[in-house]
Amino acid sequence: MEGPHAPRAVPGFELVAPASVEEAIAALRAADDGGATAIAGGTDLLLDLDDGRLAPRRVVSLRRLPWRTLDWLDGALTVGATLPLRSLEDDREVRRRLPGLWQAVHAVGSVALRHRATLGGNLGRSAPASDLIPMLLALDAEVDLVGPRGERRVPVDDFVRASRRTALLPGELIRSVRVPEPRPSAYLWQRVRPANDISQIAVAVAFSPGRRHWSIAVAGMPPRPALLPDVARDLGDGAPSDAALTAAAARASRAVPITGDQRASEEYRRRLVGTLLTRAVRAVPFEGGRPL
Amino acid sequence: MSAASRSDLGVKLAGRAEYGVDAELPGMLWAALVPSPVAHGRLRRVDLGPARALPGVVAVGADDLATLLPRGAGDAERPIFPAGEVAYRHQPLAAVAAPTLAEARRAAAVVRVEVEPGPALIDLETAFPDWPGPDGARSPHVIAHVHARHGDVEGAFRTAEHVVEETYRTSSVHQVALEPHACVATVRGDRWTVRTTTQSPFGVREDLSLLLGVPESSVVVEGTWVGGGFGGKGASLLEPYALLLARAAGRPVRLALDYREEFELGRTTLPAVIRVATAVRDRRIVGRRVRLLLDVGASLPGRDFATGYSIGFLLGPYVTPTFEVEGYGIRTNKPPFGPHRAPFAPQCAFVAESHIEEVARVVGVDPVRFRAEHLWREGATTPLGQPVGPFGLAAALERADALARRWRSEAPAGHGVGVGLGFWSTSTGAGGEARLVLSATELRVEQGERGIGSGSVLRGLVAVAERALGLPADRIRIEYLSTAEAPFDSGVYGSRTVGALGRAIVEASDAVRADLAGRMAVAVADVSLAVEGEEIVVHAPGVRRTVRSLLRPDEASRGIVATGRHFAKPNAIDERRVVTGSFYPYTDFTGAAHVAEVSVDRETGAVRVERYAAFQDVGVAVDPATARAQVEGGIAMGLGIALTEEALWSADGRLLNPHLLDYRIPTLGEVPVPEVTFVEGFLGAGPFGAKGLGEPPIIPVPAAVAAAVRDASGAHVTELPLSAERVARTLKLL
Ligand SMILES: Cc1cc2nc3c(=O)[nH]c(=O)nc-3n(C[C@H](O)[C@H](O)[C@H](O)COP(=O)(O)OP(=O)(O)OC[C@H]3O[C@@H](n4cnc5c(N)ncnc54)[C@H](O)[C@@H]3O)c2cc1C
Repeated sequence: MEGPHAPRAVPGFELVAPASVEEAIAALRAADDGGATAIAGGTDLLLDLDDGRLAPRRVVSLRRLPWRTLDWLDGALTVGATLPLRSLEDDREVRRRLPGLWQAVHAVGSVALRHRATLGGNLGRSAPASDLIPMLLALDAEVDLVGPRGERRVPVDDFVRASRRTALLPGELIRSVRVPEPRPSAYLWQRVRPANDISQIAVAVAFSPGRRHWSIAVAGMPPRPALLPDVARDLGDGAPSDAALTAAAARASRAVPITGDQRASEEYRRRLVGTLLTRAVRAVPFEGGRPL
Repeated sequence: MSAASRSDLGVKLAGRAEYGVDAELPGMLWAALVPSPVAHGRLRRVDLGPARALPGVVAVGADDLATLLPRGAGDAERPIFPAGEVAYRHQPLAAVAAPTLAEARRAAAVVRVEVEPGPALIDLETAFPDWPGPDGARSPHVIAHVHARHGDVEGAFRTAEHVVEETYRTSSVHQVALEPHACVATVRGDRWTVRTTTQSPFGVREDLSLLLGVPESSVVVEGTWVGGGFGGKGASLLEPYALLLARAAGRPVRLALDYREEFELGRTTLPAVIRVATAVRDRRIVGRRVRLLLDVGASLPGRDFATGYSIGFLLGPYVTPTFEVEGYGIRTNKPPFGPHRAPFAPQCAFVAESHIEEVARVVGVDPVRFRAEHLWREGATTPLGQPVGPFGLAAALERADALARRWRSEAPAGHGVGVGLGFWSTSTGAGGEARLVLSATELRVEQGERGIGSGSVLRGLVAVAERALGLPADRIRIEYLSTAEAPFDSGVYGSRTVGALGRAIVEASDAVRADLAGRMAVAVADVSLAVEGEEIVVHAPGVRRTVRSLLRPDEASRGIVATGRHFAKPNAIDERRVVTGSFYPYTDFTGAAHVAEVSVDRETGAVRVERYAAFQDVGVAVDPATARAQVEGGIAMGLGIALTEEALWSADGRLLNPHLLDYRIPTLGEVPVPEVTFVEGFLGAGPFGAKGLGEPPIIPVPAAVAAAVRDASGAHVTELPLSAERVARTLKLL
């Protein structure tokens, strides 16, 4: 057998911080074929640079772009891609109207990490164990993209493909994420260690008061967090009966494409799916069959 | 503790303290190691040519030892680079240095290594499904075999009313010092100097002298500030490579591990499988049996310390009229076993305590009462025949039990409360010496320990000197000196700093007093020191003299010099009980009773520690604030061993979680602020009766947590750590 096996040194790169969206897109395009990468908080990207998974010639910082925003308009929430998660978490309206989203954000890493990490970065990394993607799926959120060919809007479910794989085209950036309506919702997870760890399983549930349907998403399995529409249907169009909930939990823990790894066995993950799903649905604020 | 009372706080808070990873010298090169790509195999060739072809690169391997080392190849038994068998993945096969770290790493990557991979022994139980058995000691994998017995064990088991037999498994845990290993080496003529982060400058000097084959007088070890040691920085690790490169390059060379390498190359506690059996008659233990399979990694035969030393801890601090213990140190293809704060003792206490709890339940006696009835008290004899000295564990248990009862009565549903015991002894190491210099205005303690951040040197030793001479802390200065100038001391490990080095300070203080009494022609007992204005003055009935006025002309620039010593204690084991191997004698008897309150999620098995308390036998708390910090830190580390920490290897010897995301030490959120109570008055061998405290607080933690988990959920978990999944399995949720 032969080397190399020694630790590597991170190769040098050019760091640019454009002040406008156009310049940022141009900077990403100019270094052709994957030679440029965007950086927001860097909490994922720096690890990829450190272990040599990525070796871009240029890193384009998004810190000067005017995307640290949070707006409510006609009941829809729009979160700018570079808003630190901590700001999203500190917002009282978010906590009140989208409790599941607040719980998911609160679950990410640690306070220090959330001061840097962003929603755009979480989607950009598209990790199978992301805490935000399952909740965004359950909220039917959409991603607003901007790139060389203009703007487009893509449902999160279409945007996220697999680990480190998204619908982003060369030169394209996530500008913001849109959550269409406030929803009673809940997010529950389990980890070996509560802080700064990766969820073994996480379950996001939300109820759409307008369309009277449930959405259920699970993270912690390959290739990506996924919606479970059949399970959601088991729950009916309001507060589910105990029997319906039991059936839904059983279906979920059977149906999800889970595997085992060093963080948890397949068996244990299946059990967690059922338990967390039951608890999450019960945690959604309902009263007399109507969401509060 | 006020900031003024610890002299390192100023430089550390200002970021001016030079740790090993900060050390740089002008003109130095940066180094990288060439690691073995396999866990086991025969080394065919290490071709340094491609690395040497790069500009500015210096490379050394096994073939260079003969020319670089004065007496040929150094220690033949412990070659710096392997020539034949490769024993573990990442074992350094060569080392390179270059003007920058990036160039050094690139050079290391182009070294051509040819190894013929062989079968790797990684998992103990796959290797020894039937255990070593009667002939096991002859297996080439068994590099240590210890065996002791006393009394008619077979008879005790034959006539017992109850026999409880169990198997336990423990995991591998890493020290996780914030600062990885790092050093800078310089070689000039026959002087080999290394500036390094170490718990034992003199230990490293001795190691280097043996490894390199140079006399100790040619080796100088300069300690940097140490960013945590926890046992991991007691022996040399990187220093030989850095020195060889410095020799070859004719320039200083810096070698430091990155954190991943720290996990992969560091020496630490490895997994074990333990079988224990206890025989009971009339509610009394009449016999014990323990068998231990300990993974000692790629330790060399004759250099395993852990197997014999662990056995006593596996029996617990309990009286047993008959026993038989047998331990096997198994050589596997992992880095050699190394010390981790109270090496392997928290794991042993987990086994001993969980087992005694099980025995009590089977017998139908309250587990705390059962423990109390068998606990060693002063005058009892340990299984290996050592008489027990002053020991505060029974007093600690009594108080812990009272608190546990109160907590249990207050606990909400789903919570449980457990008590765990652990015992320990202050190590003396190979002894040491302290030198005091009393000038007109201050007392200087000249010594060669940097300490490891715990405060045992910079606060503990000051407190000892304060008490011994009656001077205030602001007139006592700890002066660190390299091995070239300091008096010998074994190192900051084994909970020995205050206990052993402190005694040398007391002896030196007595010598200072005697010297002063002689100069003033008064009785030693009448002499007392005080500070008046700038001056230190000496009082005796009817006499008052400044130290300045007592100094002889040749002392004016320095002061009165006095030395004190402490020695290793002789072995007190009853050798008639030893069949084979060497065991660990205790210097004094210390320990603690800990109480944990946990909640257990009955559907997922997740454990959360809600409250925690420690009753700690310390003899005397020489400096209560520093002592408390030791207990709090020990508990935090112990909770990691109990719940989340576990190094994992693949079947081919790859460490699967060599990073802090998947090797999980507790965060502040998982560590409740503990209640700490010192149990004083059971005096130890240290100054004023102090006992060592660096290690003891970590020992009972996994035991206390396991007992609490059992109390909360009924889950009797026999494997560490108590992860949610393990608890769920034990609860038959899976
Ligand atoms: C210690 C630790 C703990 C963590 N814990 C969690 C956790 O509990 N839950 C969790 O979900 N995650 C966790 N993470 C992962 C990470 O913090 C999050 O995914 C975070 O949201 C990433 O945001 P960022 O701004 O730092 O992304 P960056 O690292 O800056 O970027 C990540 C990726 O997204 C791309 N990108 C960033 N912004 C954009 C954009 N606007 N448009 C297009 N592409 C973009 C980058 O090019 C890169 O590929 C943890 C990470 C660490 C280091």
